[in-house]
Amino acid sequence: MEEYNEFIEKDLHKENKLLILSIFPISFLIFGIVYSFYEYTGIDGVIEGLLFIFISPTTLLTDFLKVGGIGATFLNVAMIGFFNLYILKHFKLRINGLLIAAFLTVIGFSFFGKNVLNIMPIFLGGYLYSRYQRIPVKNIVLVIMFSTALSPIVSEITFGGFFLPGYNYIMGTIIGVLIGFIIVPLSSHMLKFHDGFNLYNIGFTAGIIGTVFTSFLKNFNRDILPVSIIYEQQNIFIILLLLALFIYLVLIGYFINKDVVKQYPRILRSKGRLITDFTVLDGYGVTFFNMGILGLLSLTLVLLLGGTVNGPVIAGIFTIVGFGAFGKHPKNCYPIIIGVLLCGLLYQMDYSSTSFIITVLFSTTIAPIAGTYGVIIGILSGGLHLTLVNNVGIIHGGMNLYNNGFSGGIVASFVVPMIDAFKKESQ
Amino acid sequence: MKHELKKVCRIVDEMLTLLLHDTTEVDFKIINRDEKVIIHILGYNTKFDDEYIDTLKIILNKQRQAEVEEYYWQLAGETESDELVLVSAMVDHATVEKQDGNLYIELIRLYT
Repeated sequence: MEEYNEFIEKDLHKENKLLILSIFPISFLIFGIVYSFYEYTGIDGVIEGLLFIFISPTTLLTDFLKVGGIGATFLNVAMIGFFNLYILKHFKLRINGLLIAAFLTVIGFSFFGKNVLNIMPIFLGGYLYSRYQRIPVKNIVLVIMFSTALSPIVSEITFGGFFLPGYNYIMGTIIGVLIGFIIVPLSSHMLKFHDGFNLYNIGFTAGIIGTVFTSFLKNFNRDILPVSIIYEQQNIFIILLLLALFIYLVLIGYFINKDVVKQYPRILRSKGRLITDFTVLDGYGVTFFNMGILGLLSLTLVLLLGGTVNGPVIAGIFTIVGFGAFGKHPKNCYPIIIGVLLCGLLYQMDYSSTSFIITVLFSTTIAPIAGTYGVIIGILSGGLHLTLVNNVGIIHGGMNLYNNGFSGGIVASFVVPMIDAFKKESQ
Repeated sequence: MKHELKKVCRIVDEMLTLLLHDTTEVDFKIINRDEKVIIHILGYNTKFDDEYIDTLKIILNKQRQAEVEEYYWQLAGETESDELVLVSAMVDHATVEKQDGNLYIELIRLYT
């Protein structure tokens, strides 16, 4: 079994854990407001920016920092963060590693793709599914949080010019509800495809749905193509904010468990395959510490590669940090990243481009492959991931925000049975 | 709940995988009642040491988590490596004991 490590730490109530997570939306809210005044855009500018974000089709890659400005984007992120925290609190969910991963993933993607309007129909669809199947809503909330990866479909249908004004809102809502309705059974089923070696399973599921949906539209001669609207300026204040948040996580980890530094190496022995919940196996102290370390390392890597810390990059970093509670640690991530970097060198890619940087970050979706089969297989899988990820986005037309999850699912389902074919049965 | 019987089968599959890595002789008895299902497992001549059995007890008694179960239950029993954290998310109570050199496990899953 995944290694269970005995730990002694401060007993945290559910409210304490929610409070720890709430620092993210709170700090984003304050940052957004303060920055809007710093930029002299003020409240009017923020509202205008939010409107731009709401009416954007939001397909990959639509960076909200570019579309709506910094103040509006951070307010959008804060609102989505508070909404999701409310959901967690309302349904009395136990704050485990998976929910932490879901929360921070949603937070991250609120910088590019998710806004408070386009996620709502999907939540409504999930609610209707739970009523229809007579299962408690709390059982499916987690999947719905992740499944907002398909929120660009809602925005694209509503604001992409497919339908006459008035009907567009109805159709966008209907499609969003439909997605929320079908994604729960689909996502559970898709796990078998990659045997849990792809951490962003909803990304794989959303890729399949996006492909079906885009193919459907293509048959009506309506093409949906990925876009590239990216914020290109390096903003030192955003970097400092991220730095502060990751140091905060490290300190929280230390506060909860004073032996965290001594116990941290034990987490590195974990394979990380689904489901590896570090809050269960190693405790909250080590988990938050791991998340902070991953955040600091990810941010450092982005800056070393010469990348801009913009919306998609922040999403990549936050997804790594989130899954630092649910399977990822530096040791199972680095072989994948090396594989992507080496393959990028081979393909003569621009290391500092946003599209390459986010592939580097999101490629860690297949970290369990490196954790299970070692460094060499991890490096090869990372290279394969880069090869695929640049070619699968076109299939779903950028409708699936977790494009790397889609690619990662394909890589895992290709690599794992191959390893099995070569592996001899041990007696 | 949907797929209730299949979920029980997956738990059994997962536990059987674990036990067959330990011993060559295993008994399973499954009692399916209206309000709960009880899974009795007996692994003869266990080679698991006391420390491992204690860990097993801790892991299997982590709180049941409906949202984890709903999403991941189809992973249980899928591969040769075990998914005990997943099993723990699918059961309400676990008894794990070593008696006369045999490993005795009882899992209780309430129908909600």
